[in-house]
Amino acid sequence: MAEPVTAVQTVSAGKRPFWTEQRRSRLTAYTFISPFFILFAIFGLYPIFFTIYLSFFKWDALGPMKYVGMKNYDLVTSDPMFWTSFTNTLIMGVMGTIPQLIIALLLAVMLNSAMTRFKKTFRVLFFMPNITSIVAVTLVFSTLFGNNGMVNWLLHQFGMESMAFNSGWWGVKIAISTMVMWRWTGYNAIIFLSGLQSIPLDLYEAARIDGANRRQQLAFITLPLLKPFIVFVTLISTIGSLQLFTEPYVYLGQSGTGSTRQEGITMVTYLYSEAFRNGFFGTAAATAVMLFIITIIFSMINMWVSGRMEGDTGGGKA
Amino acid sequence: MKRGKKWPMLLLSLMLTASLAACGGKSSTQDTQTPEKTTDNTTTQTEDTKKDSGEKVELSFWSLGTTNYEELGKEYTKEHPNVTIKFQNTSDQTAHHNNLTTALSAGSGAPDIFMLEIGFMERFIGAEDKFYNLNDLGAKDIAGNYLDWKWKQGSSKDGSFQIGLPTDIGPTVVYYRTDLAEKAGLPTEPDAFGKEIDTWDKFAAVAKQFKDKTGKPFADLTDLVYNGIRDQSEGEIYFSKEDGSFIGDKNPQVKKAFDFTVKGIQEGWIGNTLLWSPEWGQATNDGGFDVMLGPAWMAGNIKSNGPDSSGKWRITQLPEGAGNWGGSFLTLPKQGKHSKEAYEFISWLDDKENQLESFKTKGLMPSIPALYTDEAFTGFKDDFFGGQATAVEYGKAAQRVKPVYYGPLHDQVDTFFKDALKNVLEKKADPAKEWDAAVEKAKTLAARS
Repeated sequence: MAEPVTAVQTVSAGKRPFWTEQRRSRLTAYTFISPFFILFAIFGLYPIFFTIYLSFFKWDALGPMKYVGMKNYDLVTSDPMFWTSFTNTLIMGVMGTIPQLIIALLLAVMLNSAMTRFKKTFRVLFFMPNITSIVAVTLVFSTLFGNNGMVNWLLHQFGMESMAFNSGWWGVKIAISTMVMWRWTGYNAIIFLSGLQSIPLDLYEAARIDGANRRQQLAFITLPLLKPFIVFVTLISTIGSLQLFTEPYVYLGQSGTGSTRQEGITMVTYLYSEAFRNGFFGTAAATAVMLFIITIIFSMINMWVSGRMEGDTGGGKA
Repeated sequence: MKRGKKWPMLLLSLMLTASLAACGGKSSTQDTQTPEKTTDNTTTQTEDTKKDSGEKVELSFWSLGTTNYEELGKEYTKEHPNVTIKFQNTSDQTAHHNNLTTALSAGSGAPDIFMLEIGFMERFIGAEDKFYNLNDLGAKDIAGNYLDWKWKQGSSKDGSFQIGLPTDIGPTVVYYRTDLAEKAGLPTEPDAFGKEIDTWDKFAAVAKQFKDKTGKPFADLTDLVYNGIRDQSEGEIYFSKEDGSFIGDKNPQVKKAFDFTVKGIQEGWIGNTLLWSPEWGQATNDGGFDVMLGPAWMAGNIKSNGPDSSGKWRITQLPEGAGNWGGSFLTLPKQGKHSKEAYEFISWLDDKENQLESFKTKGLMPSIPALYTDEAFTGFKDDFFGGQATAVEYGKAAQRVKPVYYGPLHDQVDTFFKDALKNVLEKKADPAKEWDAAVEKAKTLAARS
């Protein structure tokens, strides 16, 4: 900008070199960020487009591909099992996510309060479930939820009937949602905790001087300022629960053989068994495309709701 | 920024890109490193026999589960210094076969030798252009050495294409506990016990009697009882051998297996545990049931699940004939470049002597019937089974097996019927409705192929 006008004129009048200063620095910049884009194109974009392409073909992965038009989508949408997997995913998503977020928030507030001792130990403990192998976790939980397992034993202690956690419509869902909750509650609590720590302490101090009690502080300072974190965690959990796979896959198959019992089948287990058990890669691709669309719809609903919430409180950004 | 400094930066960024790309190629560098390890112990050998050894060949071998093939592979290298075998072992069947599917459809990455489990046979046997025809390599001449039905499992319909050499088999037998049999007033000796239950009707009667006397279920769980009868089907189970259409609802043997299991559930002599679950293992150990219908390789599970029950188990024949569950084949994917050497190796690995070795060390049931009368095989006594010559029973069962056609969707359709039975057991569902629902699901699935 500070360059003299004459300099520009001389450049444009003479033979303009291709490698201008600007182009070079641009090239450098693009080269620096290129690894991501190259890898993304190979491992991200290409599979996405290939999946969409594949969803119009019948293919067993070994023989030739055969164009079938929209038939795969017809087959999937007319399969009652697909719709069972869809409702299951939603139900387990709600059962696994909502209580989980509430518990995570309470845990984070507890951990953040000045009174809790051994904070670091707790933080580690909270995070542990998230790094243990899901397969191992699921095997342990399948013992707990067995016909004569600990959970049924507990139910008996309270004088209740034992539940069929292996085959009951709700039994299976309760068992799987419990595993999801166990695994993610701590993780979300840690995220909430980092959010809580970003809230300036003087706000609380001022509120205390004004006579606000603990509950009022939580409702009028903590929650509004934590909103971006809540929105983030909800979005991630929603997407995560739409992709629920390992828990039902191992829990219902016991040794990882992947039963597709309809009480616990999720959209991804449906997709997986279409592709890798039945060898119908076309319908599996169609399922993937539909899962993609459903995920986008849910994310948009999420964003719309959180946008409205932000509007209500008059833009409560931290 | 000065002009001169940019070129080094560009170079640096290119190097970064290159190093990232190298990360992606990590597996290939590992591939070339591992064989060095395997050749280590043979380098001295190579020196001695340098003159007569031909071109150096390295065979990659994807093996499945517990075998003694790695040890045998080393032995083979001692005798054939120019051939080294590089193993990649996995115990996850699904992943193992999916990896091959990926490699075959991608056009590269498949091994020279692939161990194919019978449960996944249908997926690959139609892809004749992706595998070497072992008949062309000389397999025709040794076909007679193996069990006829096992050999046919790996052949195309007209028999001209042979995808694999048979390794182990899984003939089904009855495993039973003598301590519980005694309590129920049943004979404990294998032959006498077997006679007591030599038809399914007699089996059910004995089961009911056992339940009344001991209060315990006779059989462990629904799946294995169902399998026992299902696998005795004539030629086909759920799918037609002719055109691959779904016939499960018309096959009397499937209906028989279903109804028999329902009867067991209703009369209370089938236990309520899940196959492979810890509870099932516990019941195996503690005597929660008397019999388990399982293939030869199930002995390994019983031993590991029930260490306290050692000496209490025996083996006898299944009512009305045996079935087969499991067993593998050695195949040569066409992507492999050394078909001749690979075939020479697998035909050696799979010969009489080495199958006996695999049986002795890892319990793999041989597919060569000549062994069943061989002293070295029949003389094998197992203390866990009270010193019974278990090999003899397995051999007897193996010769009673009739070959059946499975079809590519066998496993999935089978789950529908197993789930139906589980619903009858756990949710007290109506068996007739459950049967119809399973058939309906199977038809929906079959409509896609």
